Amino acid sequence: MNNRIQAMYALLIAVAMFVAAWFFMQSVHGGPSSARAAVAARAAAPVAIDSTRCVASAEWMKSHHMQLLNKWRHDSVREGNRTHVTSDGRHFDKSLNTCLGCHASNPMFCFMCHEYANVKPTCWNCHVSPMEATK
Amino acid sequence: MIEKALKGGRGYWAWIALLLTCIGIGVSAYARQLTLGLGVTGMGRDISWGVYIAQFTFLVGVAASAVMVVLPYYLHNQKAFSKMVIVGEFLAVSAALMCMLFILADMGRPDRVVNVLRYPSPHSMVFWDVMVLNGYLLLNLIGGWAALGAERRSVPTAPWVRPLVFLSIPWAFSIHTVTAFLFAGLPGRHLWLTAVLAPRFLASAFAAGTAILILLSFILRKVARFDVGQEARNKLSVLAAYAGIANFFFLGTEFFTAFYSNVPAHKHSLQYLYFGLEGHAPLVPFMWFSLVVGILSVAMLVIPSLRHRNGTLAAACSGLVLSIWIDKGVGLVIGGFVPTPLEAVVDYLPTLNELSVTLGIWAIGLLVLTVLLKSVVAVRAQA
Amino acid sequence: MNQQRRDFLRKAGLGAIAGLGAAAGMFPLFALEKTDLSGFSEKPMPGKVRWGMLIDTRKCREGCTECIARCHHDHNVPDFGKTKNEVKWIWKSGYEEAFPTASRQFQQPEVKERKVLTLCNHCAEAPCTRACPTEATFRRWDGIVSMDYHRCIGCRFCMAACPYGSRSFNWQDPRPAVKELTTAYPTRERGVVEKCNFCAERLVKGQLPACVDSCPERALLFGDLNDPNSGLRRALDENETMQRKPELGTLPSLFYII
Repeated sequence: MNNRIQAMYALLIAVAMFVAAWFFMQSVHGGPSSARAAVAARAAAPVAIDSTRCVASAEWMKSHHMQLLNKWRHDSVREGNRTHVTSDGRHFDKSLNTCLGCHASNPMFCFMCHEYANVKPTCWNCHVSPMEATK
Repeated sequence: MIEKALKGGRGYWAWIALLLTCIGIGVSAYARQLTLGLGVTGMGRDISWGVYIAQFTFLVGVAASAVMVVLPYYLHNQKAFSKMVIVGEFLAVSAALMCMLFILADMGRPDRVVNVLRYPSPHSMVFWDVMVLNGYLLLNLIGGWAALGAERRSVPTAPWVRPLVFLSIPWAFSIHTVTAFLFAGLPGRHLWLTAVLAPRFLASAFAAGTAILILLSFILRKVARFDVGQEARNKLSVLAAYAGIANFFFLGTEFFTAFYSNVPAHKHSLQYLYFGLEGHAPLVPFMWFSLVVGILSVAMLVIPSLRHRNGTLAAACSGLVLSIWIDKGVGLVIGGFVPTPLEAVVDYLPTLNELSVTLGIWAIGLLVLTVLLKSVVAVRAQA
Repeated sequence: MNQQRRDFLRKAGLGAIAGLGAAAGMFPLFALEKTDLSGFSEKPMPGKVRWGMLIDTRKCREGCTECIARCHHDHNVPDFGKTKNEVKWIWKSGYEEAFPTASRQFQQPEVKERKVLTLCNHCAEAPCTRACPTEATFRRWDGIVSMDYHRCIGCRFCMAACPYGSRSFNWQDPRPAVKELTTAYPTRERGVVEKCNFCAERLVKGQLPACVDSCPERALLFGDLNDPNSGLRRALDENETMQRKPELGTLPSLFYII
């Protein structure tokens, strides 16, 4: 008899899991989530654009540009929040093209450092690198 | 206990060597696929799944069929299955492993496989399939291994094992139901868009899976002198017979609905598979072979005098496995893509590269099964 | 510039912030648009805008492939020809292939032989986004069914789910098959699925999609389906239109005049 009781419990747990799963599915799918609602929360008064300085200090960019790019990509592709506001209030479009707008002036800019540090980022598998663009 | 798999005769090692050779072929073919892309397979824009997903579908059924020995043994105290249970559990482990390998082989970016867990998407059936398949593999591995360990030390199985085994029973149904839902929830693919797909998957799984178990028991008796008992085989053959009848009944209902209703979209895939469509009929001989052999095998299993003779039983089981493998492991997946959403009839032919990877994955599964069952045989021989 | 077009530009410009940042026009290879700071105050509210398209198949000229060439060039779509590895975002299908469930009994021969422009339908109830196990394909705030190529695992579930055949997989490295590389848009990598993005990269700059822009017959009309006063909605009010496989409940954002 003990067997039967255990079996009933197992069956109940399984059914409960599937019911829970169903409700989970219902709640998650179905239209844009509230997370996506919180897009582009940062609105700011118009300011003059300063293209002479980078979005952050060179020191910080050296160590964090990949995180910044990843964040920008996520925000602009998935959330529609394309505006980056720096700590001193300057505005930038969250796009790789923003970076290349300045840095492509030296087509080797990315490569020299990556080569030196022996890292092999996969960016240029898809994105057209400044080296290819100047060809 | 795994060390027991390191002792064996010449035949055993020859078998292992054969499997390792096949794995080697598979790995090198997979390396080629990784470098050049999935273009080395016969799949394309129109038939975007092929042998890999078809094998996966068939093997989920094999994995699920362990329940056909676990359920009667644990829930109905059928002592006849005492030796068979662990064979069923380990068959499920190797089949579930092969399923996952086939999914991996089919992925365009296998390096990103963890994305399924990093961005869990409960609205996607693949997410659930990954969950239930992994869970099922673990449940069976832990259950089988713990029972075997207890047996080796001649102690009763630990009390925490039983709830896991009980959980594996509904879980077995869930893995194949979710696998059917992968297909049955897609609009515009009329061969799959049918509520009877999940029941049909379960029926064909229980028919083919039990038939494989019976064949395994013959092989074990022959090569390892490990006999699960005639009674277990007899009972399994009855299960296989009824599951086989259910499978062909469901197939028949598909034909009725499609052809009696006369809705073109519902007929097209079945026409392509069984009669040919717009002059394309590459699978017609296979599907009819599957149908005829399958029905004959089921008939042999239904007749008691044939079912009880080892020779005819083995023949019927082989026929049933072959029939369902063609029906589910070839026809169902490929037929579902024809005609394409733009009404084109496109044929698919697997490439050598694709078949080599498939061979390699089957060999990995068989190797794991061999090692696990070798441990079982060694433990039993010692007892 | 007509009123319709002006409406569109205003909306696209507001919803999206066009080319911020630095060095606009200084480096023509990565030419950026002039900054439109008015966009800062506008957030993309999910569901506010729903981009849609009306295709007038009567105007579409036979043999003309202007929109296809322009789209495939602008998006670096590889050309593998008509092989099994084919990749395409927009193409022409026969009437009966595009509308297989529409009546073909005694249909006018001219209509039966007509070629119909087919592309992603950007469905409101997209089966592909439901099937995707990683949300690599998802419905955006503006109704565009978008692809996240950085996340796609290449399982091709979306391809099986799409009832319109709008999705292509990169069966091999697409780079060598891109005839003329456009620097303004990335290529894809082998192993991911790709499809029409309704020119999200142009909308953000306030431009119409490349196919709409390039059509010499002005057979394509683009606009906001959620705005009852948009040119698109007015055209839908005035004309009898069709959709592909409406019985599947996918609610496409593409409409056809036959």
